[in-house]
Amino acid sequence: MRLRRARTPPTPSRPAPPLLCRWDLDKTYLRSEFDTLRSLLRTAFEKAEDKIDVPGVAELIKALKATAERRGRTALVYFVSASPPQIGGAIRKKLELDGIPYDGIVFKDQLGHIKRGKLRNLREHVGFKLAELFRGRLEAPPDARELLFGDDWESDSLIYSLYADILAGHLAAAPLTAILMRIRVDPLLVAEVIDLATRVSGRDAVERIFINLERRTPPATFRLFGPRVVPTFNYFQTAVVLAVMGRLRLEDVTRIGTVLVERSGYTARRLDNSLDDLVRRGYLTLPAAERLAAPLRATGLLSLPTPRTRWRRMLVRLGRWRPRRSKARPVTSAGALDYDAILARVQPAARHAAASGGTP
Amino acid sequence: VPTIAVDAMGGDHAPDEVVKGVAQVSLATDIECVLVGDESRIQAVLEGVSYNPEHISILHSRDAIGMAEEPREAVKRRDASLVVGVRAVAEGRADAVVSAGNTGACILACAKHFRVLRGIRRAALASVYPRQREHPGQDSLALILDVGATVRCDAEELVQFAVMGSAYARRISKVSSPAVGLLNMGSEEMKGGETLVEAHRRLRQFPGINFVGNVEGNELVRGRADVIVCEGFVGNVALKLIEGVSEVLYDITSAAGERRVAWRLGLRLLSRGIERLRALTDYTQYGGSPILGFEHLLIKCHGRSEAHAIRNAVKVAAKAVRDRVPAEIADAVTASR
Repeated sequence: MRLRRARTPPTPSRPAPPLLCRWDLDKTYLRSEFDTLRSLLRTAFEKAEDKIDVPGVAELIKALKATAERRGRTALVYFVSASPPQIGGAIRKKLELDGIPYDGIVFKDQLGHIKRGKLRNLREHVGFKLAELFRGRLEAPPDARELLFGDDWESDSLIYSLYADILAGHLAAAPLTAILMRIRVDPLLVAEVIDLATRVSGRDAVERIFINLERRTPPATFRLFGPRVVPTFNYFQTAVVLAVMGRLRLEDVTRIGTVLVERSGYTARRLDNSLDDLVRRGYLTLPAAERLAAPLRATGLLSLPTPRTRWRRMLVRLGRWRPRRSKARPVTSAGALDYDAILARVQPAARHAAASGGTP
Repeated sequence: VPTIAVDAMGGDHAPDEVVKGVAQVSLATDIECVLVGDESRIQAVLEGVSYNPEHISILHSRDAIGMAEEPREAVKRRDASLVVGVRAVAEGRADAVVSAGNTGACILACAKHFRVLRGIRRAALASVYPRQREHPGQDSLALILDVGATVRCDAEELVQFAVMGSAYARRISKVSSPAVGLLNMGSEEMKGGETLVEAHRRLRQFPGINFVGNVEGNELVRGRADVIVCEGFVGNVALKLIEGVSEVLYDITSAAGERRVAWRLGLRLLSRGIERLRALTDYTQYGGSPILGFEHLLIKCHGRSEAHAIRNAVKVAAKAVRDRVPAEIADAVTASR
């Protein structure tokens, strides 16, 4: 099966731009528990062998890198985590155990914030992550394309969207400052972020932002972030979208699906439903889903179609079936997102303060 | 894993509350739910709530049967969500159906597409309701059937209702030998007219049924019988009366609190007890009423069902599938012949 390629094939005279994959750590790569103080402490002192990765994530990272390299482009994998560097040893060992090739990992100096008495900075990650993303960008090849991976526990969709809009030149320093102040980022960090932002701005590099819905946040919550943000319920869904983008091969999707079935108790029906969910949410057209599903059914990964589905597939082929969402959502957005609306939604307290004329 | 087809378009609060109920099920259990109805409307609701897509699929249907529609005509529409759901079960694509829609249409759709169990003459709509417990360990819910599938019936049909109700209670309530009572206007066996006298005589002699005799209206909410057998007309009136009384009691209690400060304080002291009473009489807790007598099950929810009630109905449907309730009923009917 041939999947649509996102870009034209590389030519010898002009090598394909590198691919930069930035990953959050907790709840995106690892199933870290920090709902309670006890689970937080357990996570902090957990050995690498005891850490559990989100099903399919290791295969996905490996496949992204391997597919890019097979196509003659460099793929760089970075982790940006708000966890303290003290757990770095266990994390690096876990990455090694999972066989994940990575090019860098950044932790947040939580102890430093405590020493400086900046306790608010312990829980505020927007400034820290933005600064680290910008630093990483400055060190990366200027033409690098980016894929960002986060989760729905903290503010990954906001952080990544701000980052993407700054890179694309959709968001200037002044509105960014206002946004960061509104979410009460440390003023020193705001200055640092603005300085970095002005140095990286000008190239629309972020292709997609994937949000792992670990908390099962309603997908509609992410509509304000536009079509660039793709909330997914499992890494099979992520792999499918990446395959349609041309970033993964069908074999990779099959492998990730197989891992979910063999190691995490998934069934063909659950994978089927996951695929249908993507179509209904408009991240995949029905014909694309059908093209992708056929070989997966042949391998037994997806269940065989019911007579009703077979009939629908036949109509799709004949062009007589017009599903409700026949077109996938467009990926690129014309300008910056409506951050006022986003912040009003994610920070009701900030909205009240803004409405009363005060500074939140 | 049971697959439950859910009529997303049936009920006063459809599709919103139905979809929300199914979304709750998808997060808490491994039950596979097939939402039947207008895909775009279902999806719009789904995307606004927490759900697990791995356990939910949507079966699109353009049409829906209204609560006030004439059932006989309505079930002829093959693309109505209820009919599509029932057909999905009949064709083996799901194991049971849940609907909060038009009761008459539910029964007729089952009659049209499901096979009646061998030996059963008429299907029955059963319902669980809260009752007083007479001894520790007794289930706080009793089963009453029929509550509306048949208006009038003969003695033989009442006996079959007893067999079906007894089998259902054995599986769902885990009562090894459920006490079966015949709803009547007096406890004496000669009361109630020819049909009830004959039904009483047959049930008394019936092997495998723990018949406790006639049960009067005031004993319905006591713990004497686990299964109450009656005609659909009487059963429906009795059930609605129980629901109505509990609702009125709650309203009176709330209104009393608004009149006098002393009463309000008293109610505040009793608030936990009142809440327990309310929870006990809340139909949303019980997960709907099964239509018994077919090879497959349809769980009929109250028309006013909200997400919570739908969630419980889906769980009851899944439990009935896992516990092979239709097979248990079929075995009981075969043994009784």
